[in-house]
Amino acid sequence: MRKFSINRANKELEPTDEQIKRHKDFSRLHHDYERLTKRGKKPIYRDPKLYLLFVLIGIILFLILMEEK
Amino acid sequence: MFKFRKHRKGLSEAELIELAKQDVYYFGELYETYFERIYRFVFKRLGGNEEVAGDLAQQTFIKAMANMNKYEDRGLPFSSWLYRIAQNEVSMFFRNQKNHHTVDIDERKFKDLCSEANIQGYMSIDEQEKLINLLNEMEQEHLDLIELRFFQELSFKEIADIYSITEANAKMRVYRILEKLLKKWNERP
Repeated sequence: MRKFSINRANKELEPTDEQIKRHKDFSRLHHDYERLTKRGKKPIYRDPKLYLLFVLIGIILFLILMEEK
Repeated sequence: MFKFRKHRKGLSEAELIELAKQDVYYFGELYETYFERIYRFVFKRLGGNEEVAGDLAQQTFIKAMANMNKYEDRGLPFSSWLYRIAQNEVSMFFRNQKNHHTVDIDERKFKDLCSEANIQGYMSIDEQEKLINLLNEMEQEHLDLIELRFFQELSFKEIADIYSITEANAKMRVYRILEKLLKKWNERP
C-alpha cells in the first residue's frame, strides 16, 4: 500500500544521470533472464526415467555384443 | 550452429521488435532506448527510492523479454507496453508491502491537482495535509490514475495507451476521481 506525502524537505524526485547509469546494465539483465528461463533443467542422471532408459539401452547393447561373441 | 546476426544499429523499431522475438540479442537495443524512461517512471512512482526503482525497472525488462512473443503491434507505441508492465510491477510492489510505502510528491504538482479539482484558494499546511489524507483514503486504482496524470505528468494519450483505453475515456476517469475528491473535500467536518 502506498501513502502520498508532500515533499517539504525538497528531496530530489528526479533520478540523476549517475543513478540511471548505475542501474542500466543489459548484461546483468541478460544473465538474470537466462537464469530464470533456463532453470529447472535436470541433468540426465537425475531424471529416473531417462536414467532407466539408458541403463536398458546399455543392457541391450551388452546382450547383443555377448550374443555376437 | 552459427548465428548470423544483423547489426542492431540502423534497424527500425518494428524490425528490432520482430528480431527480438526470436533472439534476445536484439532486445538490447530496445533496452538501450527505453531504460532511462522506464527507470525515471518507476523512480518517481516510488518517490525516489533508487535501489527498488532499479530492481523494478530490471524486472520490467525481464518480463518484457520473456513476453516478447505475446507483443502485438496494435498501433500503440512500444513504450506504452513497457509502461504497462512497469505500472503492474509497481502496483504489485505496493500491494506486497506490509507497511505503507510513502511516496513523496512535489508541492507544485500537488497544487496543480488542487486547481484541477477546483479546490482553490489559499491552503494552509494543515489543510494540505487534510487533502492528502483524503487522497490516501481513495482506492489504489484511483490513486494510480491521479499519480500518472498529476505527479508523473503524463498526457491523457499516454495514460490511455497504458490502460488500452481511449483518450476520452482516460480523461473521463481522471475527472470523475477529481469530482469524488472535491465532494469529499466539501463534506469534510
